[in-house]
Amino acid sequence: MIISDPYKVLGLSPTASNEEITKAYRKLAKKYHPDLNHGNAEAAKKMSEINAAYDQIKSGNVYRTSSDGGYSNQDAGEEMHTPFGGFDPFGDFNSFNSQSAENPQFDPVISYLRAGYYGEALYVLSAITDRNAPWYYYSAIAHASIGNIIIALGHSKTAIQMEPHNLEYQRLYNIIQNSGRMYQQQSQSFGMPTVTLNRICLALCLTNLCCIFCGRQC
Amino acid sequence: MFGYVIANFEKLTIEEKQHYQACYCGLCKALKNQCGAISRITLTYDMTFLVLFLTALYKPNTAIKSGRCLTHPFKPRQYWKNEITDYAADMNLLLAYYNLLDNWIDDRKVLSLWKAKLFQKQYQRIAVQYPKQYAVIDNCLNELSELEKSGELNPDISADCFGRLMGEIFVWQEDESAKKLRAFGKALGKFIYILDACLDLKDDIKKERYNPLVAISSANFKDILNLLMGECIEKYKLLPILQDKNLIDNILYSGIWTRYEVEKRKQTKEPLSDNQRPL
Repeated sequence: MIISDPYKVLGLSPTASNEEITKAYRKLAKKYHPDLNHGNAEAAKKMSEINAAYDQIKSGNVYRTSSDGGYSNQDAGEEMHTPFGGFDPFGDFNSFNSQSAENPQFDPVISYLRAGYYGEALYVLSAITDRNAPWYYYSAIAHASIGNIIIALGHSKTAIQMEPHNLEYQRLYNIIQNSGRMYQQQSQSFGMPTVTLNRICLALCLTNLCCIFCGRQC
Repeated sequence: MFGYVIANFEKLTIEEKQHYQACYCGLCKALKNQCGAISRITLTYDMTFLVLFLTALYKPNTAIKSGRCLTHPFKPRQYWKNEITDYAADMNLLLAYYNLLDNWIDDRKVLSLWKAKLFQKQYQRIAVQYPKQYAVIDNCLNELSELEKSGELNPDISADCFGRLMGEIFVWQEDESAKKLRAFGKALGKFIYILDACLDLKDDIKKERYNPLVAISSANFKDILNLLMGECIEKYKLLPILQDKNLIDNILYSGIWTRYEVEKRKQTKEPLSDNQRPL
């Protein structure tokens, strides 16, 4: 979704400061977030519009990735997340040519992805206004490669929702999801905890009380 | 942000329960000895896990002692004493200190400020004793606070920041395991951060506070959490841990979901709020 006037959606003037933008966003989220408005389709629609507007205003600057902060490049490289485990998502990419012909705007994105310039690919993607299924698909690949697995999972899912019969999208989603699915199976065989926390906390609470009352002497 | 890394007691044998309890009591005793009796109010299960995990990996000389304490005045309890209980006690206090300060800054809880002041001396000692851990924790928390202020919508960025903090705490010594431990701790930290955000989401939205998942559909939360734990397990499997494997597996595969499951049950029992009630 692309908003022609994102500031208007947030009820702000284009001169609003960063602080005002964040404040306005949180106020609107309080009103329209789907988790606080169960089953209200209108609110959900409004919220995704607000998210898109906020994202648009904020991504006026360069796309950030999780390996930006703190770590030196070398460290980030070593720790870099590879959801594909050496697997090349473009390896046996059959539908690739036809897709490319339909959507030439993704050509530079594909070149960047192939060369491993994921940040650049994301930058090009952020400037594309028509966010169709291929957009979400390429975005998921770039995000996954750079370690942004939460966004990657969401975008790969969105691509499938937009084009449910596309096998490539399905395959990408399966690759991204793989370790989570394996974990879930093992976790389920262990069984989920059913105890309430009260019992566990009791001992600790007692210690707290004693300490508060008798201070350092105890 | 604390108390998530806990065992599923139902699935432990009696021996395992005693073992886990001795580890917990060991950390509590170490806190008392190193940081003063009052510091025990900051004791967390997360740092108990740190003791359990590092002890299983490094196998330091561990004395198993027995003693009474305030909470258990009649029946003496077993507790561990090794180099790692002492280290984890200091890390426990360091994190608790920042957490209290955070409560004060975010919510103006006077009690939190008062408690933080109580621990200030210990905090200063630990900062000098463990300069590497201190520097990373301080750095990451400052960065997190900046991300919160700017309202960062990409949850991977904030989670990564908290993950780096947790990763550094797992590096007790700079040795051949350090890199793998850092990666494991980071993955675990990311999971904890996102789990915390999941559970606080509604509250944060209502209070107009930062939450990294505000723009993510809550239908995806379980998948995201499974994925993050899947990553964590991948890193865990790279570490040669055989001792207490059952107990550690119990925590990582099952116990870690305790708070999530409790919250889920609470929400299904919760009466319908105004806008959910049928007209």
